[in-house]
Amino acid sequence: MQQEAAIREPLILGNKSYKDITDDVVGPIQGKAPLGWKIMITISSVIAFYGVGCILYLIGTGIGVWGLNKTVGWAWDITNFVWWVGIGHAGTLISAVLLLFRQKWRMAINRSAEAMTIFAVIMAAVFPGIHMGRIWVSYWVLPLPNQFGSLWVNFNSPLLWDVFAISTYFSVSLVFWYIGLIPDFATIRDRMTKPLQKKIYGFLSFGWSGRAKHWTRFEEVSLVLAGIATPLVFSVHSIVSMDFATSVIPGWHTTIFPPYFVSGAVFSGFAMVQTLLLIMRKTMNLENYIHTKHVEYMNIVIIVTGSIVGVAYLTELFISWYSGVEYESYAFINRFSGPYSMSYWIMMTCNVVSPQLFWFKKIRRSLVATFALSIVVNIGMWFERYVIIVTSLHRDFDPSSWGEFHATSIDVGVFVGTLGIFFTLFLLFARFFPVLALNELKTILKSSGEEHKRIQSDGKSNH
Amino acid sequence: MESKKVLHVMYDDDGKLLEAAKQLVAKGIQVKDVYSPFPVHGIDPIIGVKRTRLAIASFMYAMTGTSLALFGMWYFMIQDWPMNIGGKPSFSLIQNLPAFVPVTFEFSVLCGAHGMALTYLLRNGTLPGMPASNPDPRTTDDKFVMEILTEENELDAAALEAAVNDTDLLELSIKEYTA
Amino acid sequence: MADNKIYWSGLEELDRTPEFERIESQEFPAERPADEFLADDRLQRANTGRRDFLKFMGFSVTAATLAACETPVVKSIPYTNKPEEITPGVANYYASTFYDGHDFVNVLVKTREGRPIFVKSNTETGFGRVNARVNASVLGLYDSARLQAPHLNGEATTWPSLDAAVSKGLTGSGRRVLLTGTVMSPSMKRAISALEASAGVEHVQCDAVSYSATTEAMRADYGRRVFPSYQFGKAETVVSLNADFLGTWGDNVWYTAEWAKTRRPEDGAMSRLHAFESGMSLTGSNADSRTRVKPSEQGRVAAALLREISGQGAAVVLDETVMASVKAAAADLKKSGAKGLVVAGDNDLATQRIVSAINRALDAVGTTIELHENPSLHQGDDKAFAQLVSDMNAGKVAALLVDGINPSYHAADAAAFNAGLEKVGFSVSTALFADETASRCTAMAPAHHWLEGWNDLQIDPNRIDLVQPAIQPLYDTRQPAESLMAWAGQPADGYTLLRQTHSAAYTADAMYTDQNWNTGVHNGFLAVTVPEETPAVYTGADLGGALRDVAARKGGTFELDVYRKVAIGDGQQAGNPMLQETPDPITKTTWDNYVTMARVDMEAMGLNTYIAQEEPASVVKVTVGAKALELPAFPQPGQTPGTVGIALGYGRGGGNEAIGKAAYQVGEGGDHLADAEGNLVPIGKNVFGLAPVVDGVPSRAVYDVSIEATGETYPLACTQIQHTYMGRDSVVKETSFDDYLAEAGVKRGDASWNKTIGLNVHDDINGDGEINALDKKAAGEFDMWHEHAVDGVGHRWGMAIDLTSCIGCSACVTACHIENNVPVVGKDEVRRHRDMHWMRIDRFYASDWNMERGEAEGVGVISTYGKMEEPGANPQTVHMPMMCQHCNHAPCETVCPVAATTHSNEGVNQMTYNRCIGTRYCANNCPFKVRRFNWFHYPGYDKFQNFNPAQDAIQRMVLNPDVVVRSRGVMEKCSLCVQRTQGAKLEAKKAGTPLEDGSAITACAEACPTNAITFGDLNDNASEVRATYDNNRTYHALEEVGIQPNVAYLTKVRNTPKA
Repeated sequence: MQQEAAIREPLILGNKSYKDITDDVVGPIQGKAPLGWKIMITISSVIAFYGVGCILYLIGTGIGVWGLNKTVGWAWDITNFVWWVGIGHAGTLISAVLLLFRQKWRMAINRSAEAMTIFAVIMAAVFPGIHMGRIWVSYWVLPLPNQFGSLWVNFNSPLLWDVFAISTYFSVSLVFWYIGLIPDFATIRDRMTKPLQKKIYGFLSFGWSGRAKHWTRFEEVSLVLAGIATPLVFSVHSIVSMDFATSVIPGWHTTIFPPYFVSGAVFSGFAMVQTLLLIMRKTMNLENYIHTKHVEYMNIVIIVTGSIVGVAYLTELFISWYSGVEYESYAFINRFSGPYSMSYWIMMTCNVVSPQLFWFKKIRRSLVATFALSIVVNIGMWFERYVIIVTSLHRDFDPSSWGEFHATSIDVGVFVGTLGIFFTLFLLFARFFPVLALNELKTILKSSGEEHKRIQSDGKSNH
Repeated sequence: MESKKVLHVMYDDDGKLLEAAKQLVAKGIQVKDVYSPFPVHGIDPIIGVKRTRLAIASFMYAMTGTSLALFGMWYFMIQDWPMNIGGKPSFSLIQNLPAFVPVTFEFSVLCGAHGMALTYLLRNGTLPGMPASNPDPRTTDDKFVMEILTEENELDAAALEAAVNDTDLLELSIKEYTA
Repeated sequence: MADNKIYWSGLEELDRTPEFERIESQEFPAERPADEFLADDRLQRANTGRRDFLKFMGFSVTAATLAACETPVVKSIPYTNKPEEITPGVANYYASTFYDGHDFVNVLVKTREGRPIFVKSNTETGFGRVNARVNASVLGLYDSARLQAPHLNGEATTWPSLDAAVSKGLTGSGRRVLLTGTVMSPSMKRAISALEASAGVEHVQCDAVSYSATTEAMRADYGRRVFPSYQFGKAETVVSLNADFLGTWGDNVWYTAEWAKTRRPEDGAMSRLHAFESGMSLTGSNADSRTRVKPSEQGRVAAALLREISGQGAAVVLDETVMASVKAAAADLKKSGAKGLVVAGDNDLATQRIVSAINRALDAVGTTIELHENPSLHQGDDKAFAQLVSDMNAGKVAALLVDGINPSYHAADAAAFNAGLEKVGFSVSTALFADETASRCTAMAPAHHWLEGWNDLQIDPNRIDLVQPAIQPLYDTRQPAESLMAWAGQPADGYTLLRQTHSAAYTADAMYTDQNWNTGVHNGFLAVTVPEETPAVYTGADLGGALRDVAARKGGTFELDVYRKVAIGDGQQAGNPMLQETPDPITKTTWDNYVTMARVDMEAMGLNTYIAQEEPASVVKVTVGAKALELPAFPQPGQTPGTVGIALGYGRGGGNEAIGKAAYQVGEGGDHLADAEGNLVPIGKNVFGLAPVVDGVPSRAVYDVSIEATGETYPLACTQIQHTYMGRDSVVKETSFDDYLAEAGVKRGDASWNKTIGLNVHDDINGDGEINALDKKAAGEFDMWHEHAVDGVGHRWGMAIDLTSCIGCSACVTACHIENNVPVVGKDEVRRHRDMHWMRIDRFYASDWNMERGEAEGVGVISTYGKMEEPGANPQTVHMPMMCQHCNHAPCETVCPVAATTHSNEGVNQMTYNRCIGTRYCANNCPFKVRRFNWFHYPGYDKFQNFNPAQDAIQRMVLNPDVVVRSRGVMEKCSLCVQRTQGAKLEAKKAGTPLEDGSAITACAEACPTNAITFGDLNDNASEVRATYDNNRTYHALEEVGIQPNVAYLTKVRNTPKA
C-alpha cells in the first residue's frame, strides 16, 4: 500500500472508516430528497422547458428567428457550442490526466466532474444540430451509403472533423465514466432495501461483485482509457478551434488557436467544476471530502490556464500588428475599439485579470471568492467566443458588407434553455448517482485520511 | 463421494486480508478468489492473479480504427468520387493526407476505447442485468471476503477451517455445494 | 343450356346494400380535388405568435414535422393541341417596344410556355437599353390587383354596356376632353383624331413628370415645341445642371449606352462629365467633376457658363469654389465646341433658355442636339392641363377620358383636380389598376398590360416601333386605341386598327401575307421614309429677362430639390416589389423615400447620422408654405449644405386604391399596417405638387423650405451601412485618365495604378543581395498544392467587370433578381441585413482620410480608422458590382461538411441546394459575403405574403422555370446563370458547332446598358472576356487572399480635370 508523507494536508477530513464513506455517499440516495434540491430542480426544469420551446419554434419557423444575417452567419449558436465544449473538458482532464499523474485529490471530484463533462458535451452537441438550416437532414454529415450513389461527405471540412471529434469525445467520456460507476452502483445495489431500487441499481451495476481479477482489469482499463482520453481531450478543442483557424477570415485565421482554445477550455471547465462542487458539497454535506485543499488545487489550475489564455490574447494582438497585414491589424483594432469593444473588455477583465487574484492564498482558499470568480471566469469565456466569432465576422475583408449582429429573444432563450437542461441533468445525477468515486476514495483513505495520518505520525513520534 | 465445500472468510480490513492471504498461501492453500469493495493492491501476486492483456487488445482495436478510417477516406474522397473542392488535390491519399489526420486520430481513439471497454465487460461477464455473485452484500461496502474451495486443496474442510481460523478473521461461513 | 351462375364480388353486392348501390352507381368515385387540397394554405404556413408561448410550443412541433416533408406539389397540364411555335422547355423571344410615358426602349421579350418571364434590350434592331424599371415591369403583368374587367360606377360590367355608357357620357354639353400622357403611338393618334371628329373631344397631353420648361424653351428659341434629342454619343464634354440623364432624366435608356461609348480609356479619349447639383444623383456620382450648388443657384451657374463661353450677360454672384468649377467646365466646353453639350434638369424656363443659349453658343445644335419636328417625348402641356382643371372646377367639363396618366396622384394640384373630377359629368380611365384617378372616375376601361396587346410607337422619324403581345390578355381588358375607336363609333379590334394605320387597304385575309409587315414584327419596327425636314433656325427673343430672373433668385435656410429614384421613377410601378426592394444606387436604401440632407446640417439639428438595423433615422418635418409632411432624414454625402432632396414616386395609394399589395407598408408579421381609420399605409410620402408652379410650369425646386426635427424615429432598410472602402485598394482600384494614359502601354500588373499584389517571402526575389520587405512574390504565384487543371481544359466561365463603364444603374440587379427567382424579402428583413440579391452593387464613397494623412497629422491609427469610415463632404463615388467570384481556390467549398458546394470542371463554384444542410460555414468563410441564406420559407411563410411574388397565385407565373425556387434553410448565390450556359452548350451540341463567344451570357451582362460586364469562356482564346485578362486595368478583388477568382475587375478610370 502506498505511503504518503504525513505533513501533506489530508484529503479526507475527520475520522472516516470505509463504512462512513459509503454511508456519506449512499445515504442521501436512500433518503428523501432535500428541499433545496427540490427547489433547484423545479427552477432549472422550468427553464429547460422554455429552452425546448424556443428550440422547437426555431426549428418550426427557420433560423431567421435568430439575429443572424448575411454578414454574421454564426453568433450565439456557435459561441454557445464552443463554450459548452470547453466546459466539457474539465471532467475528462481531471479523471484522465490527473490519474496519469497519480493526483489523488482528483478522486473526490472526478465523478461529478465527469458527469458535468457528459452533460456539457450533450449541451454542446445541441447547437451544431439546431444551427443547421435543415436539421431534419443533419444525418447527412455521416458518410452513409445512400440512394444517390456516390454521395459522400467532405473530409476536408473542419466541421466534419468536429462531427467525429465531438462524437468520439462524448462516447469515450461516457464509457470512461460508466466503467468507473459500475462498482459504486454495486455498492448501492447491495445497500438498497426496496426491491425496485435494488432491481434498478442491480441492472445498472451489471452484476459487479468485486472479484480480485475484475479489480485488476478495472484498474488496467481505467489507466488505458485515461491514457487515450488525454490526447483526446487536447485533440477535441484543437479541432474545434480549427473551425476558425483553417478559415480565411481575419481574426479566425490564427495558428495559435489550438493551444489557446485548449487552455481556455480547461480554464472554463475547472471554473464550472468549482461552481457546481461548491454548491454540491454544501447541499450533499460532502465538506469532508471536497474541501479547501481541493478548491485550492483547482484554483491553481485556473491561474495557470488563465494566464496561458491571457498570453494568447496578447500574442494575437502582437502578431496582428507585426504581420503588417491591414486586414489582420484592422480586425484586432476593431475588436478593442469597434462597435463590439465592450465584449472585448469584458473578456479581458474576466479572463485575464480576475484569475490573477488567485495568487493570493487567502482568496485561493476562500470558498466564497472562488465561487464568485468561477462564475466570472465562465462569463468571460463566453464572451471570448462571442468576440472571436462576431467581431471577426461583422467586419471582414469587403467593407461594403460590413454589418451588425443583434441577438433576438430566441437567441437568448435557447442559450438559457441549455443552462436549464444542463442543471436539471446535473441535479438528477447528484440525487441518484454516487457523486464520489467510492471505490477510489477507499483506496486512499489510509494514505490520505486525516485520522490515519495522525496515527502514522504518532507511531513515528513514539520511536 | 464426499461433498464439496466452499469457505467464505470475511475480514474487516484490507490489511488483515493481505496478512491472512500470505499465511494461508504459505501453508500451500489455494485461495480461489477475493471479493473487496475496492482494489486491494498487492493481493494479485499472492493469490496468483495473472496480469491482464486488455491494453494490447485496446492497441489492436485502435490500429483497426486507423486503417479503417484511412481506407474509408481514400475510398470516399479519392477512389469512388473525387471532386474539386476548393481546388484542393484529390488525386492520391498522400496529397490529401493532412486533411485526414484529425478524423483518423479520432476514429482510432473511438475504436480503441470502445473495443477495449466491450472486451472488458465481456471478459468480466459484467453486462446489463447480470446477477451479482458476491457471497455477502457487505463486500461492496467495507468487508473483504476470501473464497476457498475444498476441491482445489488437498486439505479437507476441517483442516482448512483450522488454518483459516488462525487468521485475524471476522466471520467464516462454510457452504456445501455440488459441482 | 345457359349457365346462369351469378358471381358477386362481396356480400354487399349479394344483398345490394344501399351503400354499395351508391358506390356502384359512380364508376369514378370523386376524390377530394387537388386544387381544393392545394388551396388549403395551412399546408405551407409556419406561423406562430412569438409572445404566446404555448401557441408556438404546440404549433412548432407540427411545423417541425411539416418542414420535414419538402416534396413540392407539381401540377402539369398537357397541351391538348400544342401550338407549333411553343416547345416546352424552350424559350421564345419576341421583339417589342416599351413605353410608359417616360422610358422608350426597344426590347426582346422572353417567353416560356407562353409566359413572358424576362425583358431584355433589343440590341440587334433596336435602340436604347433596358433599365431596372423596364426589366422589372414584367412583374406588373401578373399583378393580381389589376382590373380584370371594365367597370361602371364601381361595378364590373361588359364592354358593350361600357361603350354605351361612354358614348352617352360624351354627348353631355360642355368640354369633352381626352387627357393623356405624351402620345407616341400613330394608331393612338389616329384613334384620337377619329374621336375628335366624331365626338368633338379635345386632346390634352400632360406628363407625370413635366419637361415643359425645356419644350417651351425650344419653342421660344426655335419655334418647335419639342424635347430635343440629345446625342450624348457625340459629346466630348457634357455639363449636367441637375439633369440625371444616366438614371431618370429624359430619354435616359438611350443616353446611358450612348454616353458609355465615349468612356473607354482604351480608345485613348474619354468624354468628361461636369455635374452641378444639390443632391447626389446617379449622374453626379459618375461625374468626373461634381460641384455642389443650391437649386436657387442653378440658374446663375447656367448664366455664368454662358458668360464664360459667349461673354453674354452680366457677371453673377457665385461662391468661388462653384465659380472655379464653372470656369473649368466652360474651358472644357469651349475646347469641345460643337462637341460640347449642356443639359439642365430643372423644370425652369429661365434656366432652360439660358442653357439653350449656351448650346447655341457652342454651335452644338445639329451635332449633340437634334430638334426633330416630331415625334418627340414629353409633349405634356401644363398650361392646358391647368386650364382643364379650372374648367372642371367651374363645371364646364361634360366628359373626361383619362389615358396613361394618374393626375389624382401626380398633378401639381391634385386636390383641385379631384375636386374638379367630382363635377365632371362623365369620366372614364383606361388605367390597368383602379388607381387614384381611375377609382374616382365614373367608368374604368382597363387597358392591356404592354406585354398583352398590339401597338405601335414612334420616337425616331425613320422607324415605327411595334409592340406585339407576348401572351393572351390575362383579363378582360382592351387597348386604349381600340376603346377610343369604339367610342368614336367605328369599332375595330386593336390588331386591324394597327394594320390599317400602316396600310389603309389592310383586310383580315392579308393577315399573314404582307412580307414587309412580317419582317417588321420580327425585327420590332417598320422602316418609314420621311420627307427631308428643315433644320431648326433660331428665332428666339432676347435672354435679358431670363438672366435677370436667375440673377435675382434668393434661397432660404433650406432649399428643396424633388428628384426621382432610379428604381421607382415617377411611381407608376409602386406596386412592384422587386423595384421597391432594389436598393437605390446612391443611398442603398430600399422600400422608402426620405429627406436627403448634408451631414453638417443633420449634426447641427442633432439628427441621427448613422442609420443601421437598430439605429433608425430621425424624422424631420418639411414645411413648404402651407404644405407640410414628415419623413425620415438620410445623411447624404455630397448633398449641398442647406439643401434637402426628396424622391417623387412614393406615397402611392393614399386612399386604399388597389394598386398592388406591395405598394403598402407591412408589419414585422407580414400583415399590412393600417392607420387609425383602417386605411392601408402607403410606402413613403407623395411630394408631387410640393414645389410651386412658376409661370405655368410645375417646378421641381423649392427655394425656401423649413426643416425641423420632430424627435420621432423611423427605421430605414439599407443594404450597405459602411460607405467607404477604408483604403483597401485590393478591393477597389481607381486612377485618373491622365495617369492611365501615362502607363497605358505597360503590361498587366506593372502599372502604378494596378500593381499585382505581392506577398513578402524569405528569399532574395529582387536579387538586391538581401532579404527584406522588398522581396515580394505575386500573390497568384503562391501554390500550396498540386493544382486541379483549369486552363485549357474544356470551358471555363469567367467574367470581367469594367468599373469605368459601370454607372451603378442597377439594371443588372433587377435582371438577376427576375432571372434567378431570387425571393423578395421585404423591408424588415433588408433592415436586418438579410437582403437576398445575388448581384449587388457596392457603392463606395471616397473618404478625406487615409492612413498616410493620419500619420502626417499625428492622428492615432485607431482614430484614423474611425475617420476613414466617414465619407468626404463631396466624395468621389465608385460603383462596384459584386456577386460570387467563383474562386478556383474557393474558401467556401473547403469548409462545407457535406460537399454541397463544389467546383465544376468549368470553373464555376456550384451550389447544390438539395444537398445543403445549412451550416452557413461557407457564407462566413466567403471574403466577399456574397452567399445568401434562406432564413425562412419565403414562398410560404406569412411574413412575406404581401410582397413575395412566389406567394401570389398569379404573380408566381413570372418565376423562371429553369431555376429552382430554393427551400428554407439552404444557402444560395450567383451561379453565373448556369441554366443559360448549359442551354447554350446544348444548342451548340445540337448544331454540332463549337460554342461561340456571346451565345452564353448571364442575365446581368445582358442587362448592362453600358456593357460593363463581359461574360464568356476564359478557355476560348478568341473570347472577349479572355482578351480583358490581358488588359492592364484588369485585377482580381482581394487577390492576396489567394482565392484565384474567375471574376475580374477593370480599374476605374476617371477623366478628372487637372486641378
